[in-house]
Amino acid sequence: MAVIVDIADAVVNDLNATDFGRPLTAVRSYLPVFDLKAMKTLHVTVVPKALSNTALDRNRDTFEYQIDVAVQQKIEPTLAALDDLLTLVEQISDHLRTQRLLSYPGARCTEVKNDPVYATEHLAEWRQFTSLLTLTYRVVR
Amino acid sequence: MDLLEQCSRWLNSQRHTHLTREISYRRGVQAVTLRATVGRTEFELGDGLGTVIETQVRDYLIRVEDLVLSGQQTLPERGDRIEEAQDQLTFIYEVLPLGDEPAWRYSDLYRQTFRIHTRQVDLEE
Repeated sequence: MAVIVDIADAVVNDLNATDFGRPLTAVRSYLPVFDLKAMKTLHVTVVPKALSNTALDRNRDTFEYQIDVAVQQKIEPTLAALDDLLTLVEQISDHLRTQRLLSYPGARCTEVKNDPVYATEHLAEWRQFTSLLTLTYRVVR
Repeated sequence: MDLLEQCSRWLNSQRHTHLTREISYRRGVQAVTLRATVGRTEFELGDGLGTVIETQVRDYLIRVEDLVLSGQQTLPERGDRIEEAQDQLTFIYEVLPLGDEPAWRYSDLYRQTFRIHTRQVDLEE
């Protein structure tokens, strides 16, 4: 299997094995399509995004794999509910940033971007919270 | 009242008489049963930032005078729910803005009818 898929799977496994204080099931997807009706429950979607590599020496390259983690839920957009979901995003970010992936320890998380922290257009048009984490994992091979 | 307004009122009454179905309009625990015209139904695919969100968009035309909650005439609000029963199912729509448009607008010059934008958010059996 492609390394980027292995890393994405490892992210999914890690998230599902971690207690974030609420039920959370992360799923890997190539083309995540969701019905708005289904978004009442928390959706955590892991999607391989991009990769790049640079030569390290004669035999090895440094690869950087980008993995998107989308956290989404249709909610009553009160301050408390939104604060709670943003806290979850931070917990996920902190966990992945600081821990090696259990099922792919050779990948090291070197960067986490949270952009957008939340999508205002989704809140306005769908009353849905959407936050996107882009994780960069470095692998030498 | 000018001639055009008279015509508009007559047309609106005909629409209400012949082109409406019963719905329940809900805001929290407040609800009213009234008659509405389904203005349009479209399917929408939205950019969900790495994901795609699909939903059914539906407009309802409701007489201004009919939207009364707890004895008070009111304006539609984002987040209100419209429940429409069909066969053994209840389709639930939420009042939401649509693109650059707010969640509702008057559908005529004389402010007799609301055009309310909604998206389907639930389906109950």
